[in-house]
Amino acid sequence: MEMLGLSLALFGAALAAALAGIGSAIGIGVAGGAAAGVMTEDPNKFGSCLILQALPGTQGIYGLLIAFFVLNKIGLLGGAGAYALTWNQGLQIFASCLPIGLVGWYSAIWQGRTSAASIQMISKKPEAMGKAIILPAMVETYAVLALLTSILMLMGVQVG
Amino acid sequence: MSSYVYTVARLRGMENHLLDTAFFSRLMDSASIDDAVKALGETSYSQWITGAGSFDKAIDSEILATCEELASFVPDKELLDIFRLPYDFHNVKVLLKGLFKVRGGDTEGRRYDLISKLGTIDTEELTNAIETEEYGFLPYGLTDLIPACWQLWDATKNAQAVELLIDHQMFKAMLGVAEKLNIPDVTNWVRNKIDAENLRGAIRLARMKYDSAKALPFFHEGGTIRPDDMAKLLNEPQETWSRILSYTDISSVLGALQEQGDMKAALSDVSKALDEYLLKVLEKAKYSMDAPANVLLYLLSKEAEARNMRVALVCVAGGLDREFGRRLLSNGR
Repeated sequence: MEMLGLSLALFGAALAAALAGIGSAIGIGVAGGAAAGVMTEDPNKFGSCLILQALPGTQGIYGLLIAFFVLNKIGLLGGAGAYALTWNQGLQIFASCLPIGLVGWYSAIWQGRTSAASIQMISKKPEAMGKAIILPAMVETYAVLALLTSILMLMGVQVG
Repeated sequence: MSSYVYTVARLRGMENHLLDTAFFSRLMDSASIDDAVKALGETSYSQWITGAGSFDKAIDSEILATCEELASFVPDKELLDIFRLPYDFHNVKVLLKGLFKVRGGDTEGRRYDLISKLGTIDTEELTNAIETEEYGFLPYGLTDLIPACWQLWDATKNAQAVELLIDHQMFKAMLGVAEKLNIPDVTNWVRNKIDAENLRGAIRLARMKYDSAKALPFFHEGGTIRPDDMAKLLNEPQETWSRILSYTDISSVLGALQEQGDMKAALSDVSKALDEYLLKVLEKAKYSMDAPANVLLYLLSKEAEARNMRVALVCVAGGLDREFGRRLLSNGR
């Protein structure tokens, strides 16, 4: 039972990195499919396509950031060994990881779809690149809000 | 469905190369067919054109090349089959009519030059199958259809009735392929295509003063409007058809023709309006990044482009009235 707190915290860190990462991989894959389709007909659009394809990748980075935050919080990064966590503290850390894990996962997939639509848009109207970036960036807002929520929650958890 | 993201994106790129009606309008201003062929130099058609007299084959080659290109990356080949299947049935008509003539003593009756390569069945295999009466391998219900056509021909010697029988089977086959695909937009398009064909038939039959009972066998099953209801239109004045069909989307075509005071318009104008309507049926797919119906939409736009090309070049080659030609151009893109 004495390791339950630490296990819960590590499970939370793993979920944050894994779910957001999976979402980003899917989102980038969807946008990449669209980019490949457009570039088959017009290879000159590589630059614009690359920017739009990269947008759904940020959720994976946010997930990784929270995982680092958690590992630092429980003392696993300092080399001195992990703090002894109660199951209650572990559960609090686990809960803090959920916003970025879940929102990151889902928003990355939808951002990928929006990016794919934007890539198709610039295929017909290259001059609309600015607008094409704004549309998927709107989805990003909610990933950023989830990141902030996770950070604020983690900062509120008392350990050590 | 996400497997169509690449496909639709590539189609968006290909759409940029479609020629618009303004191009064809300019093409019609060419002084001679040689000038028109020169103007096509920068289009994808140029690779197929070998001379001023070769444009008809060049247009078919361009559509065939488009189908083959799409076949290399479209996940559901049945989408292409729906587009190409009418050409198979056209070939069956050409081959059967040729054989009817040969049986009637006209040894020169075969018209292989009218066979289209755009069908899904290899033209040589289809020709052999029909001429040797070995239909076993033929798809789309042709195995049973061709003997039925022979029976009908032997009994009536009526080529129009045989054509009608073939058309009935063609629409049945198209609907079958669409339902197997299970893409609602595509099934809806096929049903609307049947409606459009029935409406075209109704307008033609009304001009020939057919009554509803006599006209019923001319209408195809499977549309959103029942053949019975379509036949009943013939008992009503044409001006009221749009109101009678107001529960359907296709009534908008009649409404527009009526507004223009064009209910007695040439059948070519009606056909043009119906073709444009069928493009509109699929247009909502334009706003989806992965709707499979985009494949069909692109093919129809390409077909409209080919039709425009044919109109423009025939106008120039035959020295026909340019304004009349411009009226025939459809807004494929």
